Amino acid sequence: MKFKFLDWIYRIFGLRRNIKIGIYGETGVGKTTLANRISLDWTGEEIGKVTGIPHETRAVQKKEKIEIKVNKKKILLSILDMPGLSTKVDYRSFLKYGLSKKEARERAREATEGVIEAIKWLSNVDAVLAVMDATRDPLTQVNITLLGNLEARKIPVIIVANKIDKKGAKPHLIKEAFPTYPVVEISALKGKNMDSLYEAIAKYARGG
Amino acid sequence: MMKLKFDFVSSAVLESKTRDKRINFILNKVKDGTILVTDGVMSPEEEMELIKETMRRVDEGFPGIEVASLKKPVSGIAKWIEKFSEQKDKVKIFFASLTGEKKVSKSWKTGLTLIGPAKYIKQVKKNPNSFSILTEVK
Repeated sequence: MKFKFLDWIYRIFGLRRNIKIGIYGETGVGKTTLANRISLDWTGEEIGKVTGIPHETRAVQKKEKIEIKVNKKKILLSILDMPGLSTKVDYRSFLKYGLSKKEARERAREATEGVIEAIKWLSNVDAVLAVMDATRDPLTQVNITLLGNLEARKIPVIIVANKIDKKGAKPHLIKEAFPTYPVVEISALKGKNMDSLYEAIAKYARGG
Repeated sequence: MMKLKFDFVSSAVLESKTRDKRINFILNKVKDGTILVTDGVMSPEEEMELIKETMRRVDEGFPGIEVASLKKPVSGIAKWIEKFSEQKDKVKIFFASLTGEKKVSKSWKTGLTLIGPAKYIKQVKKNPNSFSILTEVK
């Protein structure tokens, strides 16, 4: 796995490497809610704003050096909340949220830049949480392309089946669609099953 | 009544172009309102480049694209040949990087890809072995 040699050096000298974890996924799957939950759990502070309007996160939001403790081990993380990946951005879709035409156009412009930025960051993350909405069909081209890229770049990935608190959530469909990946079912909003996610981060983010 | 135009392009035609020219070719067609179908599947890295370039071209008349692809499942000797081809690609890309040629990309896989304008393709329903699209032309 990536940086295995560096990990070895760090361990020899008793140091802990800061693991950069990118939170990726389509728009509206709960990436910022998850970033906020992780940050709140370990630092008491939130990372970003959640409004329900698509493309709310249009630039990478970072929270650095979050220390998490899993099974008496300490892991140092930097959480990078990425703008949502999408193959399309239509300014008209923002108008129904009460934005003016000018605001909608500006949001669309920033959203396209956000998608480009998120893709560029793929070469700078050590591990990825690929967030999927458990109430939606997981077999989308964006999800497939994202996982294919991570595999090609040998970046460890955990699929996060989010929103399991919602009626109609079918996290098993995510497991069926991507059987070769570790999948953790959570509700970032309610903080449900977060311990399992932290255990998975400890296990997979170091290539374990 | 508006009409939809489909272009069926051989993957050999697309593969003969450099990555940038290929993406340019695809996006010029799609931005023009054409749905492009080809008998190959681009690598995930190239598809990300396609998304990136699409985002650069988004404007009021072109909100983006919809992509759907199906890779032909391979097994046995075909899988071995595919792995050999991937290694060959890596060597090709490595030597290209030495000569400063940055736009050499991985070979396309056998399969099926449809790329169309998002303003006409309203829904893509994917299954492991098939996909369907729902279009709306006003």
